[in-house]
Amino acid sequence: MLRYIARRLGQAAVIVAIVAAITFALIHLAPGDPFSAILDNPNVSEKVRATLRAQYGLDRPLAEQFVRYVNALAHGELGWSFSHDRPVREVLSSALPNTLLLMSVALVGSFALGILIALFQVARKSTAIDQTLSAITLFFFSMPDFWLGILALLAFTYWLPIFPVGGAVDPVMHEFLGLGGRIMDRLRHLALPALTLTVLASATVARFQRAALLDVLPADYVRTARLKGLTERQVLRRHVLRNALLPIITLIGLSFPALLTGAFFIEKIFAWPGMGYAVVNAIGARDYPLVVGGVIIGSILVTLGSLLADLLYAWADPRLRAH
Amino acid sequence: MPGQTQDSARTDSVKPRESPLALGVRVILRKRSSRVALFVLGVIVLIGVLAPLIAPYDPSAQPDIVAAKDLPPSIAHPFGTDPYSRDVLSRVIYGARLSLMIGILATLVSLTFGVAYGATAGYAGGVIDAIMMRFLDALLSIPRLLLLLGVLVAWPHLSIGSLIVFLGLTGWFGLSRIVRGQVLALKHAEFVTAAEALGASRRRILVRHLLPNLVSPIVVAATLGIAHVIVLEAGLSYLGIGVPQPLASWGNIIYDGADQIARLWWMSLFPGLFMVTTVMTLNVLGESLRDVYERR
Repeated sequence: MLRYIARRLGQAAVIVAIVAAITFALIHLAPGDPFSAILDNPNVSEKVRATLRAQYGLDRPLAEQFVRYVNALAHGELGWSFSHDRPVREVLSSALPNTLLLMSVALVGSFALGILIALFQVARKSTAIDQTLSAITLFFFSMPDFWLGILALLAFTYWLPIFPVGGAVDPVMHEFLGLGGRIMDRLRHLALPALTLTVLASATVARFQRAALLDVLPADYVRTARLKGLTERQVLRRHVLRNALLPIITLIGLSFPALLTGAFFIEKIFAWPGMGYAVVNAIGARDYPLVVGGVIIGSILVTLGSLLADLLYAWADPRLRAH
Repeated sequence: MPGQTQDSARTDSVKPRESPLALGVRVILRKRSSRVALFVLGVIVLIGVLAPLIAPYDPSAQPDIVAAKDLPPSIAHPFGTDPYSRDVLSRVIYGARLSLMIGILATLVSLTFGVAYGATAGYAGGVIDAIMMRFLDALLSIPRLLLLLGVLVAWPHLSIGSLIVFLGLTGWFGLSRIVRGQVLALKHAEFVTAAEALGASRRRILVRHLLPNLVSPIVVAATLGIAHVIVLEAGLSYLGIGVPQPLASWGNIIYDGADQIARLWWMSLFPGLFMVTTVMTLNVLGESLRDVYERR
């Protein structure tokens, strides 16, 4: 088990290193550099640009720049955000908790909802309800994240104004609320974005879990359990669900990229002040260091997610635990 | 002649195995859900192909930027007009053409890379395979949208052609893993050993003997891949870094109405409905094909 963890950690480190190399290549393959892109200003002379380039080491050989880049990354330095006039690290680290909050609520919610839907369907296998639910989950599965976000915004903030339009807190009133009021204010703002992301992700979980449950149904031990005289409910819960939960752990790891990209769009639509919101705004401002920083942090999040899922899998599967 | 040996062996068997493509077509036509999906997809493809004949207006004409802008749906403009007074229905029709075209072309790029990379890794084996797979792991752990964000922000104002290439270049990772697995599994199959014994070159073995066995995963990956690219392109266009103006793609139309979602609801609703329908049909088709191929 320890050896497995060590090997898996090593793999994750290699992956992060390659990601760093890829982003570095991206930056340097692109036409121009931060100073030709950001300072489109004719008043900035070529001399000033050259000075800036020298200041940031952009006139050094590529190999040296790469070493410096990796070194800076290892120290958590992601460069300077031009649009915020702050280090990228600061911008992202103040936004990251909001993204993680959104993602974790959606992760827990979507797995709970998805597994429930799948169980409900399998207990009524091949009936009209099962097929209807399959069609509904397919519909949400096929839906682009940003479109569902737009529809949710339209429906529940404009047509049926139940939720606030955007942001993480009320811009005016939040300061004047008591502790309880502040918590309620936060929850009210979190509800719609989190719900949207949950619904999106749960469609994938439900479809995946239904297939996993159906895979287990023909197993001998399920027939044995039925022949023992257990009710269908007991069979499903104790014998089928438990064995179909292992693939779910794999799915947790696989769902991180989708959750993260989903969060990017949802944050933009609901003005949720997370990493996605910061990065999407940086696109408009052509704040390249911030976009690249977001790509790197996002990839590290996804790598950590799949690492966590693999370790969880090894812990949950007794056959692997022994090694 | 290794090829002939194979052919005669096949005709000798009692029941010739149905080709994956024939099997796929038969299964799609047999199941009601996939038959409906095929029909609906066909209609949308037809709309795209015949766009110049069907569209009531020129999709980029701006007849009256003051009086005819932001009009809600009416008989003259069933899907309304946009802030530039362009007819949204015509743009959605042309959008079908562009979004489908981008989906298909980008997926062709992905298939080429995925098959080449996966087959090379699987066939080479050993250290080369290990290195290629680690690299693939890294690529897979960068979310595709983020990778594209990095690329598209670095190269602003890309042409449609380069956009297609980049969409394709970020979509082959999953397929190449499947291809590699298949090649690895078949590398020591008897028919490959036989071909080797007859002196066939590596290239010939790959192209004539291994590739035909990869048709099923490729068809599935292509169908689901097109759906994925359509969603991605729409997302990027919605962020304003996808298809350049004044071309109309489904995501682009939504982008044009994005800062006034509540007032211009028709601009996000109609293109989105077309998009979801297209993606749904592709997903239904892709999944029924996968079910059949996996069961075999």
